[in-house]
Amino acid sequence: MTSRRVPLLPLLSSLLLPAAVAMVFFYAPTERTMGVVQKIFYFHLSLAAVAFLSFFVACVAGVLYLVRRERRWDAWGAAGVEVGVVFTTLVLVTGSLWGRPIWNTWWTWDPRLTTSLILWFIYTACLILRSAVENETRRATYAAVMAIAGFVDVPVVFLSARLFRSIHPTVIRSDSVGLEPAMIVTLVVCMAAMLVFWAALVRLRYGLHLQEAVVGDLERRLGES
Amino acid sequence: MSRAWFLYRKDLRIELRKKESGASMTFFGALVLVILNVAQGPGRRLTPETAAGVLWVAVIFSAVLGLGRVFARERENGCISALLVSPASPGTVFAAKACVNLTLMILSQAVLVPVFFVLFGTGLTGGPLALVPSLLLVDAGFSAAGTLLSAVSAGTRRNEVLLPILLFPLILPLVALAVKATGSALAGRALAERLPLLEPLAAFGLIYAAAGYLLFPFVVREG
Repeated sequence: MTSRRVPLLPLLSSLLLPAAVAMVFFYAPTERTMGVVQKIFYFHLSLAAVAFLSFFVACVAGVLYLVRRERRWDAWGAAGVEVGVVFTTLVLVTGSLWGRPIWNTWWTWDPRLTTSLILWFIYTACLILRSAVENETRRATYAAVMAIAGFVDVPVVFLSARLFRSIHPTVIRSDSVGLEPAMIVTLVVCMAAMLVFWAALVRLRYGLHLQEAVVGDLERRLGES
Repeated sequence: MSRAWFLYRKDLRIELRKKESGASMTFFGALVLVILNVAQGPGRRLTPETAAGVLWVAVIFSAVLGLGRVFARERENGCISALLVSPASPGTVFAAKACVNLTLMILSQAVLVPVFFVLFGTGLTGGPLALVPSLLLVDAGFSAAGTLLSAVSAGTRRNEVLLPILLFPLILPLVALAVKATGSALAGRALAERLPLLEPLAAFGLIYAAAGYLLFPFVVREG
């Protein structure tokens, strides 16, 4: 935990993220109708993918915590929820910034938008729940239960959101990708950069949560003696 | 099964004697309906969809009020430890509590829906009976998810504030579906047309009944 090895993931992401930004602005061609506004798409899609990934991590960590009762699974879950909420916030913000000039509205009740917003609410509630419980094992159990209960909501959220008409573009379909080759390369680099950045953040938060728990243990032992 | 029935009867008897949850749920729900009627302004008619939205706001806000009580009561007197050492498994306790919540919701809606029709009924083609399927399905889903989360929030310091914060995001899709289904019922459409909307409601109930049954034991043991 307190190892002094090279922070590989943060270093790698500090190289990859600027490279991805440079590719988005200097390598990828400008889209014909949407113009420069379209460039936000590379970040939007990458953020959305890793945000969903972190909620999945939180759910899996929740299950593992309830089964194994080990502190590290709670720390993984907490890190997943925190980073997931931040990234979902960014997804909503970048989506709105794009939607205003293209759709002429900041917000619309589209399935994907609705799902992201509800997930944001569920996992923010999860963060509030964590802050409301003092006892460590109780907090871990409650947070695990909430992370699982939130994740099993996703199918219903998506079913219910289907009722609303969709104007969200479907860029990546099962049979084809509606992008220029240069755009695809940029998107792949962008997603890889975001994934490394995400992993670095989750890893850092995980370590921090574990250290907090250890400090808590030490404080308690000091209080006893 | 008989143990669940026993626990269910026990909670209902407490409720009948004290009348705290059911009465406050119904009263608060009626209050919300009146407030929304005042906010709407006099002499204006609502479209079926908007009227359905009004009904659901009253229903979920009143239900969350009673939901917290059913579990907080066990915590306050330390009865939860007694329940845990009793032969009833935690899953049974969950089933009994969820059924109590379901009953309370149905009872309060038996009053709220007529009040809703008195205040907002002019111009709606569908009658109260057309609402029954969607009401029952939402009640089932709401009480399953609500029972699980009220057990969570009862273990925290901010019980009353936390329950709606945790529960409302989860039931948001439920409410969205229910408003659509109720809206078309109020517009007088046939049940067969509403079926695609009712199926996800039932799915939500099943998912949270299963999730609650599995997760509830972990929550109550942290007491």
